[in-house]
Amino acid sequence: MSNQHQAPPKLASRLLDWFLNEEFAEEIAGDLEEKHYRLLSAGSKFKADKNYWFQVINYIRPFAIRRYNSKYSKATIMIKNYLFVAFRNLSKHKFHTSINILSLAIGIAACLVIYLFISDEKAFDSQHSRKDNLYRLCEIQSFPGTNTQKVALSMPGMGPTFLADFPEVKSYTRYFARRNWLWTKGDNRFKVDVTARVDSTFLKLFDFPLISGDRETVLNEPNNILVTEKLAKTIFGSIDIIGETLKLDDESFKIAGILENVPETSHMQFDIMMSMLSITRENPDFNSEFGSNYLNTYLELVPGANLSSMAEKYPEYLVRNTGNEEVNDYYKLFLQPLSEVHLNSMDIEHDYHNYRKFNGSYLEIFTLVGIFIIIIAAVNFMNLTTARSSARAKEVGVRKSVGAMRNQLFWQFVTESIVLALIALLFAVIIDVISVPFLNNLIGRTLSMLSLLDSTTVILAVIAMTLFLGVIAGLYPSIYLSSFKTVQVLKGIEKSGKKSIFRSSLIVTQFSMVLAMIVATLVVLQQLNFMKSKDIGFDKDHILLVDMNQTANDKFDVMKQELLKSSSVLGVTASGQRLGNNFHQWGFKAAVDTGIVNVTPSNVLVEFDYLDVYGIELIAGRGFSKDYAKDDGLAFVINESFAKELGYEDPIGQSVGHSWYPNDSLGTIIGVTKDFNFNSLHYKVNTLSMVVHSEWNYDEMSIKLSPENLQAGISDVERIWEEMVPGYPLTYSFLDEHFEELYTSDKQMSSVISIMAVLSILIGSLGLFGLSAISVERRIKEIGIRKVLGAQHSQLLVLISKNFAWLILISFLVAAPITYYFLAEWLDSYAFRVSLNPLMFVAGGLATFIIAMLTIAYHTLKASSTNPIKSLRYE
Amino acid sequence: MSENRLGELEEVLMLIVGILEEKAYALNITEEYEAQADRKVAIGAVHTTLNRLEKKGFLTSEMGGATAERGGRRKRIYSITASGHRALANVRDFRLTLWKQFPAFAEGKLKFVLA
Repeated sequence: MSNQHQAPPKLASRLLDWFLNEEFAEEIAGDLEEKHYRLLSAGSKFKADKNYWFQVINYIRPFAIRRYNSKYSKATIMIKNYLFVAFRNLSKHKFHTSINILSLAIGIAACLVIYLFISDEKAFDSQHSRKDNLYRLCEIQSFPGTNTQKVALSMPGMGPTFLADFPEVKSYTRYFARRNWLWTKGDNRFKVDVTARVDSTFLKLFDFPLISGDRETVLNEPNNILVTEKLAKTIFGSIDIIGETLKLDDESFKIAGILENVPETSHMQFDIMMSMLSITRENPDFNSEFGSNYLNTYLELVPGANLSSMAEKYPEYLVRNTGNEEVNDYYKLFLQPLSEVHLNSMDIEHDYHNYRKFNGSYLEIFTLVGIFIIIIAAVNFMNLTTARSSARAKEVGVRKSVGAMRNQLFWQFVTESIVLALIALLFAVIIDVISVPFLNNLIGRTLSMLSLLDSTTVILAVIAMTLFLGVIAGLYPSIYLSSFKTVQVLKGIEKSGKKSIFRSSLIVTQFSMVLAMIVATLVVLQQLNFMKSKDIGFDKDHILLVDMNQTANDKFDVMKQELLKSSSVLGVTASGQRLGNNFHQWGFKAAVDTGIVNVTPSNVLVEFDYLDVYGIELIAGRGFSKDYAKDDGLAFVINESFAKELGYEDPIGQSVGHSWYPNDSLGTIIGVTKDFNFNSLHYKVNTLSMVVHSEWNYDEMSIKLSPENLQAGISDVERIWEEMVPGYPLTYSFLDEHFEELYTSDKQMSSVISIMAVLSILIGSLGLFGLSAISVERRIKEIGIRKVLGAQHSQLLVLISKNFAWLILISFLVAAPITYYFLAEWLDSYAFRVSLNPLMFVAGGLATFIIAMLTIAYHTLKASSTNPIKSLRYE
Repeated sequence: MSENRLGELEEVLMLIVGILEEKAYALNITEEYEAQADRKVAIGAVHTTLNRLEKKGFLTSEMGGATAERGGRRKRIYSITASGHRALANVRDFRLTLWKQFPAFAEGKLKFVLA
């Protein structure tokens, strides 16, 4: 009967044996086997086997399952015991425990902050329900004589024609925003930060909430406007103002809606919203206007629209609408998903309405840094626990000999590490609650630990991650410790004499990361410092920028004379655009041997004294002067790059002009300046032409103040402005502040990286500190004997430090090439950058080495200066 | 479920235990149930119920009767306790009272074929 072939399936009966409660094991196994043979004798073996499996699986019921642990104890009692033992062990070894908790807490705290930062950045523009189908229309422009550039601008005619020509486009809105417009209420004037004109579809595409007003129709009237809650309160002191009017110049606009304040996490920021109808009513051709790019266009596509098949039709679309056969040589269109506008626009220029634009790739760096830190902290835990194994070996031995199972010991150690991780989490939260406000200050954010409480998923995820960390960190030590053989351990056979390759490689991993972070910090700081101190070719300090209106332009010359009378004012000039961005590109023509060439450099409208006030250096010719009548409109000062581009042997005196000048009445080049960085250092210096047109309006006045009397200078400017331009409030800023803003993203990244580097060193050192304590403790007898035999202090120091020193050297070899590669890639994103100096690596390595040696010095010094009597007394 | 009430399956299984007498162990009870009720059921399901009935004190069991076809393992033989008998009688009385109050049945309008 019981031949092998006919026996029940082995796997199934094993499974049964494994889970069955012993109390029922005999009868059930018997029943099932009997059933099996009954079915066998009735026929098919397959049927019998199948049934056996069926029955086994159906015995997985609470009553039949083996009670875990033995019949003397219940699982809950054991867990209580694990917790009890864990707390006892943790409080018994306070030094070890506090190092562990501290390093884990710092690690978790750092990760939480990184999470807050990243989720704040990712929250940008995510409040719109149609966000997945919204795109911003962008262009890649490659005009002759200028660098190829991506721009966020588009032409007024593009929105309507996209809707008409592409079935994929469901709707569009244009966004045409202007800064510092003067709105009036009765006799009161208010300079409004951003006034945006948008199409009537705007509030359908974007979910900016309204406090009052009908979002469906409010933008359908040309004279309707919406104001934000904040502005309403500033102007009216109330938000109950529907139907009130505000005036712009002489035209009245009716307030037909109140917008909730624009959230911090929106790339568009505005205070007043007007309907695009206010333009098209007066200029119906606006909707078919092609030629200049000066506004933003947003498209809503149908779900699942195929972007690449749309892109194939752009060339034909452009030719048809612009009527220019060659338009595709200059323009390439592309759609940028709304979700990328905030984080993926660093290479996009003329991006004037992108609030707090941030370099999204930095978020990946932050994530990596967070992972590094948590690994460094987890390694500490593993190392310290396994290193202390000899101390706990006896405990394991005794427990085993009184009947502890291996898995019980395993769970005991895992419980210990979970308890530790949870305590660390508690500390981490406390650390963050205290430190986040300081951090906000440093990096200009409004991060809040409370935002973690908004979603239970996040809370659960944080706790789950902590538990996971506890398990992962405790896994290896638990397996290792619970594997000790009872007899060996109790007999006192030391296992620890062997070097632990595992532990060493963990230290190498840890210190490679520490090293990478130190070197990265050094290089990042070096690059920032470089950008701060690089000679950008003009003087940006103590320049006051004053916003100019029509009156200020009309009275510019008189005002300039008045201002120059003040002893605190060193120079006054004006320009059409502010330094620190790319300047607008206009068509430009130049006469060469073969005729006329058309190029498109950057252009800026300047006043006669511009070059002097800004201290821009000429390398040939002269600057603008009122003494020459032709200098007003017919004289051009170009930069070195543009001179090279034009290829004249001697550029001075060559015939050039704006593209709209007739070929027979061009102006001349009167001077060439050295290249100066009018754009941020992320970009190369573009070709540039400067021109004076005294009849055009300037945008901003630049007033150079004497550094000694800044305050006096400002009050002089205020006084004169008040006299000359009454009714238009003075708004000013400093140019150097504007330049600081250009590098905000970089600075914030470097702050975060520096903080994290310091933390990682701290955590790494804490680990080394603990490890060296353990290794010294273990070798205390060896040190004693060596001292008795005459070893010198210094010899002992070398002896103990040697191992750690080797590990750090190896870390350096591992970390240096990888770090080099990544840093080189990062630096690539700057047109002007420091070269990667190997010295930085050496410095980083040395710093790590010195910190490590100092960390372990405490214990080595203590050990080597102990009287050998103390350590040898007991043997 | 109240401690001294019987569920449908419990009632049926108790009856089968009563029918099978000294042959009442989990496997047999299952097969008998399958045969009588014409329904397939896992031994584990029956065993759970038997175990529960034993806890309630309606059944008692003892080990015995090892045979070769079950690898020399003993079986658990179930038998009904005094309180088990009482519980069964209660169920039966309760049902009969209900049937008697059922007018259609009492007046003989409903025909039952009694096998």
